[in-house]
Amino acid sequence: KQWYQRRVAITAGVGHKGKFGHEFLEFEFRPDGKLRYANNSNYKNDTMIRKECNVSAPVLKELARVIEEAEIMYEDDKMWPAPDRIGRQELEIVHKNQHICFNTSKIGSLVDVNSSKDPDGLRAFYYLVQDLKCFVFSLIGLHFKIKPI
Amino acid sequence: KQWYQRRVAITAGEEDDDIDRLKKSAHKKKGRGLARSDVLKGDFEELDGDTRPGAPQKSIEGWIIFVTNVHIEATENDIFDKFSEYGDIKNLHANLDRRTGYLKGYVCIEYEQHTEARAAVEALNGADFLGQELKVDWAFTRPGTKNKVKRKERRRGRSPSPDSD
Repeated sequence: KQWYQRRVAITAGVGHKGKFGHEFLEFEFRPDGKLRYANNSNYKNDTMIRKECNVSAPVLKELARVIEEAEIMYEDDKMWPAPDRIGRQELEIVHKNQHICFNTSKIGSLVDVNSSKDPDGLRAFYYLVQDLKCFVFSLIGLHFKIKPI
Repeated sequence: KQWYQRRVAITAGEEDDDIDRLKKSAHKKKGRGLARSDVLKGDFEELDGDTRPGAPQKSIEGWIIFVTNVHIEATENDIFDKFSEYGDIKNLHANLDRRTGYLKGYVCIEYEQHTEARAAVEALNGADFLGQELKVDWAFTRPGTKNKVKRKERRRGRSPSPDSD
């Protein structure tokens, strides 16, 4: 087994309590290749979508590359805005021998990033979360033929 | 805790890591089902296809291959042209890097037929594309690794029972 089949795991979640109840999106990659995805919204009385599949080693390897390229393992969420009423984002990554678990509020746009106390770190987080969502939406969307949003 | 709170697991569907570990720690194994334990693994929705560990897994409407090391300036058209030789492409996701606007470097491609997807994997894995060597493989596989190295477990105590694997 390659190291990325043993030592990469990532869990991410985005959520907020809004007009339509508790909306959240969560996904998780486990080292054995299991990918779990949950999307919950009470908008139009939608029920929760929960999907699970098993991705191949090359997918895990690419996930590891995306994480490394983002250089997120060098960052710290100490100076980032705390999760609040409006929402929260969470990212937990185990990568090789490092473990990070960051959380912060919802980030509206780059304006929020640039005006924060740690623009470089928060920017890395901001883009990584977007890249990860694209990655997951493609895999889950194609495998199950569902439109994630 | 009673022994049955630690060492009993009845599985009728999804395997969990804990359950795997639990089973592996059992010294005595009995039952004809043991030899075919793969039957209960994986997703129940699949009725056909290879159930061996590491085997490619079908998606709901087709077969999805995963391409990496794609040149970031490649266009969707370039990719489409390269891969359409092997079959009718039903879907192609060449995701962008959200920061740079270039390609992130991976592409998901769906073919309807297993034969088409396999042809693309075999023909294009390692092929040159705009100066970079493509990596092409299946996106979804059965859990577990193929070519498992069989390691003889050292058993302590009495000799193994005839039914164990």
